Amino acid sequence: MTECDRIQEWLGAWLDGELPSAKAAEVKLHVEKCAACAAEKERIQRLDAALKRALEARVSDAAFAPFWAGVRDRIAREKSWRDRVFDWMRGVLAFPRLAWAIPVAAVVLIALFSTVRYFGWFAPTNLASVESIDGHGFNVALLREAKTKTTVIWLFENQETEDDNSVEPAASEQAF
Amino acid sequence: MTIPSSLRRASRLFSLWLLVAAPLGAAEQPAQPVQLKIGTIFATNQAECLDSQLAKLKQQLEVVKYRCYRLIREESQKGTWQGNTVFEIPGGRSLVVQPFEFRNSRVSLKVRLLEGEKPIVDTTVRFPNKGNFLLGGPPHEGGVLILSISAAAQ
Repeated sequence: MTECDRIQEWLGAWLDGELPSAKAAEVKLHVEKCAACAAEKERIQRLDAALKRALEARVSDAAFAPFWAGVRDRIAREKSWRDRVFDWMRGVLAFPRLAWAIPVAAVVLIALFSTVRYFGWFAPTNLASVESIDGHGFNVALLREAKTKTTVIWLFENQETEDDNSVEPAASEQAF
Repeated sequence: MTIPSSLRRASRLFSLWLLVAAPLGAAEQPAQPVQLKIGTIFATNQAECLDSQLAKLKQQLEVVKYRCYRLIREESQKGTWQGNTVFEIPGGRSLVVQPFEFRNSRVSLKVRLLEGEKPIVDTTVRFPNKGNFLLGGPPHEGGVLILSISAAAQ
């Protein structure tokens, strides 16, 4: 690849101002000295100019009148109720106005929770909750059966000290 | 910084609701005594039997899977909040019950079963007002004792 080939590859980018300054200076210096590259540069510039003219012609030919008429029509047209609701919600839910929602939500939750607890709604019917048990050396079993709403705390003697004759075994199967 | 009026209104509303709603969840402590009832049931496997006085407890007793249940003692006492009430249990035992809290229609009891001076079990149980729970296992005359412990706050 010759020096000219390398420079001509960068010409387009240079003309668009996309080359780093060192490389742009190198291209500029080369183009000033090299007739072939200068001619290529002018060819690219002419092409750009032609393209620009063609685009401008297209833009001036485009019919913007209907577009602007549509915009004016939308502004003038009365909004439907749905649009008005959406607009209202957008206004209400805007961040500074949303600040009230947090304390209100907290209050509603606290009030609901307090009311539910006060009236005992959703509380288990007869099931007890055992908060602590100390068997003082005895083994302790805890049974909570929802079906019969029964809570049982059962004491066992430790195996090492258990007197087999002192406790009647349960019927068919061990309860706990 | 100026607080927006909507925020001022919200904070006033919040305070008002807190004042109204928060006390609802607070503990109640009725001044009236609490009615404590201990049923002492003797359970064995010797023969199929159910004391007629235990008809209401039949389903609960079936959980412990003995064959015969007899009510050998039933005692009711009015207990005071934070005060100990002592019930005599066969076999030289005693049951000390201390009602200490009534909240959300549930009664909290501290229960201590003693054999003479020796503690057998200490437990803290919370259950619905007028409900009960069973404490069983102490051996007695070839069977076991089951205590039905119930409390009714007035």
